[in-house]
Amino acid sequence: MADFLQNCLDGIATGAAYALLALGFTLIFGVLRRLNLSYGPSIMAGVFAGTALYMGFNAGLAEIAIATVIGAVVVGAYIERLCFWAIRKDMAVASMVSSFVIWMQIEEAVTLLFPDRTYAFPGILADAVVEFGPFFLRASSLAMLAIAAIAVLGLLALIYRTHFGLAVRAVSENPEAARVAGVNTGLVTFLAFACASALGGLAGFLIAAGDQQITPLFGLWATFKGLIAMMLGGMGSIPGAVLGGLLLGVVEANALWYLGVETRDLVAYMLLFVVLTFRPGGLMGQAALMARRAAESRV
Amino acid sequence: MLELHGLSKHFGGVRAVDDLSLTVNQGEIFGLIGPNGSGKSTTVNLVCGVFPTTSGAVLFEGQDITDAPSHRVVAAGITRTFQNIRLFGDLTVWQNLWVAQNSAEERSRGWFGRWLGGGQSGRGDADELLKFAGLEHRSGELARNLAFGEQRRLEMARALAARPKLLLLDEPAAGMNAEEVSQLADRIRALRRYGMTILLVEHVMELVMGVTDRIAVLNFGQKIAEGAPAEIREDPAVRTAYLGTADA
Repeated sequence: MADFLQNCLDGIATGAAYALLALGFTLIFGVLRRLNLSYGPSIMAGVFAGTALYMGFNAGLAEIAIATVIGAVVVGAYIERLCFWAIRKDMAVASMVSSFVIWMQIEEAVTLLFPDRTYAFPGILADAVVEFGPFFLRASSLAMLAIAAIAVLGLLALIYRTHFGLAVRAVSENPEAARVAGVNTGLVTFLAFACASALGGLAGFLIAAGDQQITPLFGLWATFKGLIAMMLGGMGSIPGAVLGGLLLGVVEANALWYLGVETRDLVAYMLLFVVLTFRPGGLMGQAALMARRAAESRV
Repeated sequence: MLELHGLSKHFGGVRAVDDLSLTVNQGEIFGLIGPNGSGKSTTVNLVCGVFPTTSGAVLFEGQDITDAPSHRVVAAGITRTFQNIRLFGDLTVWQNLWVAQNSAEERSRGWFGRWLGGGQSGRGDADELLKFAGLEHRSGELARNLAFGEQRRLEMARALAARPKLLLLDEPAAGMNAEEVSQLADRIRALRRYGMTILLVEHVMELVMGVTDRIAVLNFGQKIAEGAPAEIREDPAVRTAYLGTADA
């Protein structure tokens, strides 16, 4: 039991970073109804911007975090212009395929600029451990959890408490009605994309700081984790992304402990399979899916 | 105030709107009627920038707004309602109004004040609109839970939230009973007293005849008559094209 609780604790810390990735995915999917497969690679490019600053100038943690976020936002904006803004709204598959092509482009570009594959990344409070009772948590995990929690709360406040968030939700639900209500849907979409990339950049920084290293394969990893966490929670659902991220983290930590490292990803895919079989809309996306079906059948 | 000059929209070989010219004057209620498929809704969509025009021009207060994107049309001072209601069902009644508060005054508050604001600045306006629409007790309800008539009223209130100078109503009486139609007529007259200009696209003849100052009749995308309600009622071309066959 104590092992299980300890695993959950570790899982929640990792899951908080997954939740950030899933939030970025769900924000983009929500406003665009299209998948951005290049989301992970844009984050990876941001992390490499951070590591360049670290190695080249021995910059501090805050500067590296800012460089990572800015790098992810810049690459994210490039993807938005190329794969989504420039491609017609009803060509969802064309957007998805082109985002995959851009993925390859980003990975190649990063590999050319950083030929050594694996690079060092500074850790947050590396090696320190916080103990409470029988449980303990790496200080870096605690920092990850705290920063991710602040970012999630900030995003929730932005989406549910401000006029911008209201516009994002309006565009998600009905872009045509939003346009006619006077919302500049192109601008709102672009800014939502930028917010998603910023969240992704933050997640990338936290994860790379936890691992204290980075490779170009991080892009693939981040897209997978974010996608799975989002689909567990429900595509386009903001609370679902948080839930999906935490659930994925907890399940993975337990799989790692009880079944071993080689089954960890397998268990994650199985979990996704089971959830989608019984709740095709994801854990929190079911209501939205049903509402959309009802709306379609009415027309 | 609103001028259409030789406006045309062809979908493939179909001339949905064909060389249509008309002028809506400031402060008047202008009716646009015609049989199904005569191009009324297409005209509204062209003015609002829903799809591009084939040829012709749309002028609003002398400013060329032909093919302007929808949010610019709203910024210029034109808002609309839809024939089939398009509210944000997952937002509350009051949020539906808040999201549409895109008037020039709101825009002038700058990026941070407007986009990161919590909506307090528009609260007074929204409350007034809710009262106008008879929805003040439904403010916190999700729009999807409203009754049909309430949704129609909310959509009209949302169109007013951007403080337009010209309001386009696309078949606002569709699906309403006689009681609701008469309340709608009262609301339209009240808006005129506030100085609103209205372009009313409608099938329900008693509403059009009862509230409009002037009427244009479309058939196959072309204007076949224009004049005061009494003249339109007597026009032989209109009687054959429309009144003789439709629900009046």
